[in-house]
Amino acid sequence: MKLKAKHQRLTLVVGAMIALGGAGALAFSTLGSKATYFYAPSDLVGKAPPTEAIRLGGMVEKGTLKKDGSTVHFIVTDNARTWPVAYTGILPDLFREGQGVIAEGKIDPASGVFTADTILAKHDEKYMPPEVAGALHKVAGKVE
Amino acid sequence: MLNRPELWTAYIWPAYALTIGGLVALLAWSWLSMRAAERRSEALKRNRP
Amino acid sequence: MHRFANPARFLRIARVATPLTLWIGLALTVAGLYIGLFASPPDYQQGESVRIMYVHVPAAWLGSGGYLSLAIASAVALIWRHPLATIAARAIAPAGAAFTAICLVSGSLWGKPTWGTYWVWDARLTSMLVLLFLYLGYLALSASEGERGEERRAASILALVGVINLPIIKYSVEWWNTLHQGPSIKLTGSAIDGHMLLPLFLCLGGFTLLFAAIVLMRMRAMLAEQRVEARSRRLAEALA
Repeated sequence: MKLKAKHQRLTLVVGAMIALGGAGALAFSTLGSKATYFYAPSDLVGKAPPTEAIRLGGMVEKGTLKKDGSTVHFIVTDNARTWPVAYTGILPDLFREGQGVIAEGKIDPASGVFTADTILAKHDEKYMPPEVAGALHKVAGKVE
Repeated sequence: MLNRPELWTAYIWPAYALTIGGLVALLAWSWLSMRAAERRSEALKRNRP
Repeated sequence: MHRFANPARFLRIARVATPLTLWIGLALTVAGLYIGLFASPPDYQQGESVRIMYVHVPAAWLGSGGYLSLAIASAVALIWRHPLATIAARAIAPAGAAFTAICLVSGSLWGKPTWGTYWVWDARLTSMLVLLFLYLGYLALSASEGERGEERRAASILALVGVINLPIIKYSVEWWNTLHQGPSIKLTGSAIDGHMLLPLFLCLGGFTLLFAAIVLMRMRAMLAEQRVEARSRRLAEALA
């Protein structure tokens, strides 16, 4: 009798966990893209440009960074599509060409340029000392 | 730019101080509460009627 | 399972394990923090601020790993009604909550100099904050309970329901676009240089042992308190 009650509780907990997992998966599938923190250029190209403030993220394309007084212009890429960005203000330390960036702002309806009022630097998951990075860079340079 | 002293005073030291302080507080609380409870338990055992 | 659930047997093991985990954990932690602060290289991108990783990552690991152990202990308490499992869960919760809070604040202090912000509502940061609230909810429910009340079951059920947050934390950086970067250490290898892995693993091991020591000490404290209560009740009955 005691064993039976124990098994009943086990079944109940396992059943509840399965139901919970199902509910979570369902919530996940409807939530889906709404939990995304930023859009990539591929999410925006070819669609009606959103008029509200959004976040645009990707890599700062190498060789596209131009300084014009306190305003910077650069192109954000996700390696498939690109989008031009303009920003006036102080850039974070880690902002640089070839690194990740997230821009908050609006798309200018006339020019199509993404006008950012906040810039966040996104870094990758690699960590190494500068000497190692320098050595890797040299090796990569020789191969090229 | 990436090695400016402000990095240490504003971010690195506070992060380490918080972690070490939190660890020490947790360890001290657990240790003291364990010692107090085990002493009380021993005292009662000795005075068992 | 039942063999380990015997409190007398548990206490015999815990009396040996407590000083072991405590002293080895302290030694590893002191070494890891020292190397992390003074004897490891800066990062090629973020410079000195990479040192915050050595406290942030172990705290995140124990915040989420601690929650998994809290949920397992709660499941055992619910299904098999082992008193030791309930005590283990109640000992884990405050330590797990503290490490989650350390993870959030140290992450915030790391985010400002690297990302340019203390906080964003991206999927990783938000799900980690939810983890802290789950811990606080468990602590509040288990503090309000009587000896064997409905609230005790409510706290265990909350701990189990919250498990769904763990895969969300883990995979948030892969399922959604987030400001937080992807995982650096995977089963297939690490994207962290060896000189940085040394303090990281020392701190991971040290913090984990200290977490175990805290849980063991809290469990011993709660078991002793229960003995005191039982003895004084018997004493009062004998005198009456």
